[in-house]
Amino acid sequence: MAENAPDTAGIGPAASPGPDEVDILVGIPSFNNAKTIGHVVRAVEAGLTKYFPGRRAVLVNSDGGSTDGTADVVREASADLDSILLENRVGGFRKLVIPYHGIPGKGSAFRKVFDIARQLGAKACAVVDSDLRSITPEWIELLIKPVLEEGYDYVSPYYMRHKYDGTITNTIVYPLTRALYGKRLRQPIGGDFGFSGRLASFYLEKDVWDSDVARFGIDIWMTTTAIANGFRICQAFLGAKIHDAKDPGADLSAMLHQVVSSVFDLMEEYAEAWRSVKGSERVATFGFVYAVGLEPINVNLDKMIEMFRLGVRDLETFYKSFLPENVLSDLREAAARPDRDAFSYADDAWVRTIMSFALAYHRKVVSREHLIKSLTPLYLGKVASFVIETWTSSAEEVEGRLEKLCLSFEREKSNLVESWRRTP
Amino acid sequence: MKNLIDKVIVEPLREVFQKLVAFLPSLLTGIVVFLIGLGLAWLVKLLVVRIARLLKLDAALTRSGVTDALQKMAVKDTPAKLLGRTFFWLVTFIFFVLALKVMKVPVIDQLLEKLLLFLPNIFVALIIVTIGWLLGNFLGRATLIASVNAGVKLSSQLSRGVKAVILLFALVMAFEQLGIGRNTMIAAFTIAFGGIVLALALAFGFGGKDLARTFLEKRIKKNADAGTDDLKHL
Repeated sequence: MAENAPDTAGIGPAASPGPDEVDILVGIPSFNNAKTIGHVVRAVEAGLTKYFPGRRAVLVNSDGGSTDGTADVVREASADLDSILLENRVGGFRKLVIPYHGIPGKGSAFRKVFDIARQLGAKACAVVDSDLRSITPEWIELLIKPVLEEGYDYVSPYYMRHKYDGTITNTIVYPLTRALYGKRLRQPIGGDFGFSGRLASFYLEKDVWDSDVARFGIDIWMTTTAIANGFRICQAFLGAKIHDAKDPGADLSAMLHQVVSSVFDLMEEYAEAWRSVKGSERVATFGFVYAVGLEPINVNLDKMIEMFRLGVRDLETFYKSFLPENVLSDLREAAARPDRDAFSYADDAWVRTIMSFALAYHRKVVSREHLIKSLTPLYLGKVASFVIETWTSSAEEVEGRLEKLCLSFEREKSNLVESWRRTP
Repeated sequence: MKNLIDKVIVEPLREVFQKLVAFLPSLLTGIVVFLIGLGLAWLVKLLVVRIARLLKLDAALTRSGVTDALQKMAVKDTPAKLLGRTFFWLVTFIFFVLALKVMKVPVIDQLLEKLLLFLPNIFVALIIVTIGWLLGNFLGRATLIASVNAGVKLSSQLSRGVKAVILLFALVMAFEQLGIGRNTMIAAFTIAFGGIVLALALAFGFGGKDLARTFLEKRIKKNADAGTDDLKHL
């Protein structure tokens, strides 16, 4: 119990005498983020002071056992409010540095945040990543205000990104979750969220904290759980998201496995919720939306197409055990195109591929890990096709192109529902 | 003359007949035991198939690639049916042995004793081969997917190699368990395995040095290219 006791570090004269009850709670999960977390803490402090003066607020750093002095940085970080703000220069919030225990991962860190939110009766909460370089005080306003003042339960982030950033989100997660649950949340696995105290308590009651959700997949789990259980949702435009470079050696197929298996697992859990949904609807969006520049980036198209062809050739026998013949023939046709510029993996074919993978996952036709890892070469083929098609397009045109892909997913959904229903 | 005929033909025939008459009840008992065994085996088969279907064994083994491997070996039965058939023959065999035992023929008794002593070895050897086969299929497929995702052009060959090596290991272990040419098998395996590695090393180092250089250059160049990809997937 003693090692779980929060380490409080009051900043300035607190608006309330102690952390018995708070209006706002901001959680920051961390693990060896001493280099970046100071900036995040300062942005949170400035945001709370500027936009929520007089509100009782607490910052919770849920740490996974950092050894690089992350906790010290959190305790010592303090925003120079005089230079940031013209008025309301007196901060009034507390900081809690709390180690979480159990399965290491972002999910376990969030669980601790939800737990404290419930204990303190927080009305509105937000969680932000500890490696953010681009967070500003406005993020706190945008994530908290829709909950505190507009009655929303869940605020999903909406970042402006380069047209080729977040290709797993763009080609799989966004179109699939939109088609399934009928809500156009553009960044369902964003990483920074706002939510009500009511929703935090609901999350806490779920029996998932010893599963993969504790390790990875908490982002899509939070989004899907909020939508599927009828909570009021919206999104907030936060601008650009710049954070510390992830491990460059991170394996794409492992990444794909984590994300896609989380989405497919949730399809199992919320089958009743998504089967009756038709089409999709916009969700309220807060913040001032703007586009970012499109600096040219290096994309190794030849390598991606080569990987796609290799996958279709060598994994065909494996694919035959769960992909229908029309999907296989789509793949063969795409792989047979000799000219790089003529390479195309059509939307309809891609949608049928993803739906077939989802069905095979549901039916447990083959080992689930093998199944999703075998999606990697096909995913690279789709990304290559998308890049070829949109190389000269503007950001708005690319969004329009993604809209078409989403509509293909929505059209194909009826077949998925029918096949899912027939599964014994 | 009559005495001679009695001594040479009639007496032995009478003895044989008496022995046959004395043996007849045992023979009949043996046949009855065997027939009961056949009936029981049929019931056990039905029961096993039903339990296997209730436990969704077919779906589980399809997932692990066993059904696929069985079909490749021209086995048309589903795994549940195959398991039922195995139990049928197992029970039939047990009752066949019991039937022979009931007949109380000394030579058969001795043979049976030896067979029964050897039976556990056969059973363990079969388990070893089955596990090796399942593991080979699973790891072969895992290797195939991992190597395709790593961009290895010889993924199929690599996968087949992994499968073959695991199966070879299992076979050597099974033969060792059976005591068949124990030293010969181990020596053959060591020589074959070492030989393959040496042959590959020599072929790659001498015979294919240009190929090796090209391959390494391509790999290094490929890695350098990979580093220039700025796509962010998440």
